[in-house]
Amino acid sequence: MSVPLLLFTYAVAAAAVAPLLSRGTWADRSPRVGIFVWQALSVTIIAGIVFAGAALAVPAMPFTSNLAEFLQACVMTLREQYSTPGGALVTTAGGITAVAVVARVGFCLIAELASAYRARKLQLQSLALLGRRDSSGQFLVVEHAEAAAYCLPGRHNEIVFTSAALGALDEDQRAAVLAHETAHLRGRHHLILAAANAIHRAFPRLPAFRIARTELTRLIEMDADDRAARSSSRLTVAAAVVRLAEAGSTPNVALGAGGTSALARVRRLAAPTAPLGALRVVLTVSAAAAMLVLPLTVAAAPAVSSAYAQTCPTGFPAST
Amino acid sequence: MHRLGQLESTIMDRMWSYQGAAAVRDILEDIQREREIAYMTVKTVMDTLHRKGLLMREPDGRAFRYRPTQTREQYAAAHMGEVLAGGSDRTATLLHFLEQIPADEVAQLRAVLDQAAQPKAQTQVQTQASE
Repeated sequence: MSVPLLLFTYAVAAAAVAPLLSRGTWADRSPRVGIFVWQALSVTIIAGIVFAGAALAVPAMPFTSNLAEFLQACVMTLREQYSTPGGALVTTAGGITAVAVVARVGFCLIAELASAYRARKLQLQSLALLGRRDSSGQFLVVEHAEAAAYCLPGRHNEIVFTSAALGALDEDQRAAVLAHETAHLRGRHHLILAAANAIHRAFPRLPAFRIARTELTRLIEMDADDRAARSSSRLTVAAAVVRLAEAGSTPNVALGAGGTSALARVRRLAAPTAPLGALRVVLTVSAAAAMLVLPLTVAAAPAVSSAYAQTCPTGFPAST
Repeated sequence: MHRLGQLESTIMDRMWSYQGAAAVRDILEDIQREREIAYMTVKTVMDTLHRKGLLMREPDGRAFRYRPTQTREQYAAAHMGEVLAGGSDRTATLLHFLEQIPADEVAQLRAVLDQAAQPKAQTQVQTQASE
């Protein structure tokens, strides 16, 4: 019982940490570290719950490389569990929880990717009729009075500018936007977004996943900004953001709470703060990596220690 | 498949530049000025465009006369409307350089940028003056 409880408590604690993590500007200083941390946090919350359920269903899986032995031991354990009414209930509840969480996240991820794929396909069809390729061959231009620049990720990826966007930008700024969009494509940022969207959609009531999605949406933009700033200057990237904001359409409907990330981006580009120091990066990344492996480790610990107990009966603490 | 897409775009280009309706033969002759192409190829693609709702047609003798259902501007506006609407929805379909910004925030953005650019411009002026 202690392992499932431990894992469940861990998952709840990890979810409770999310609002605290979103405070401050540590992630804005090193967006890539931030992206990894938020992804690790999302995964660890889900893994914690899944493994808690699995550990309830199958308390101490024997650890052996012999398949027949393994299956036999599984059956024995399960039969033992089911022999008492309470045990059966707990086992079933744990198993259902684990399977349901995995299935729900998987389903939402597939749905998200499929709808994005369909929408992109339609967009590419329209672009084939509307877009003309720029003389550099790097992007498509669509005649339109509102300034916008975006990329369509995927196998037939494209970067698109509206004619108004090209008109609003000078050559350096256009190169900066192009570099920003190229960074999105190279970094496979759409997959980061799709996963964050899917997890949020799977558990819409959980604030942790909503916060993770908001943070990741902002951080991939900042990461792309940083990459764009390598080939041009930070102020050029900032100027491109401002020029496009001025030439773009202004929606008359209010956007979601928290406003847009554009202001944070421009402030950050205009007055850069030093990125996180090497020590802090190492510590943060190690902590995030530890979060990734912890649920599995905790869930597998009883099995591993029992395996040790079988193979080396002396000299090793069988259980702690 | 890709070449078919190109042909669709070529034909729509011509249909949009036509004033009024055009028969398959008009478009065919238009394209044949630049390259060899069969009547049936053009007709098939125009049928497809009709089926997709991009062209409408009316019978004219034994053939049809086609015209675009929307002007290029209308089609572009509808397409871009969809693109921009997706921007605030945060789907993974496409990644915008910038989400849509409320007017008051645009002014704020400009202020931040000008403030950052100013000290630099001043130091440039100073160094130029000292030279």
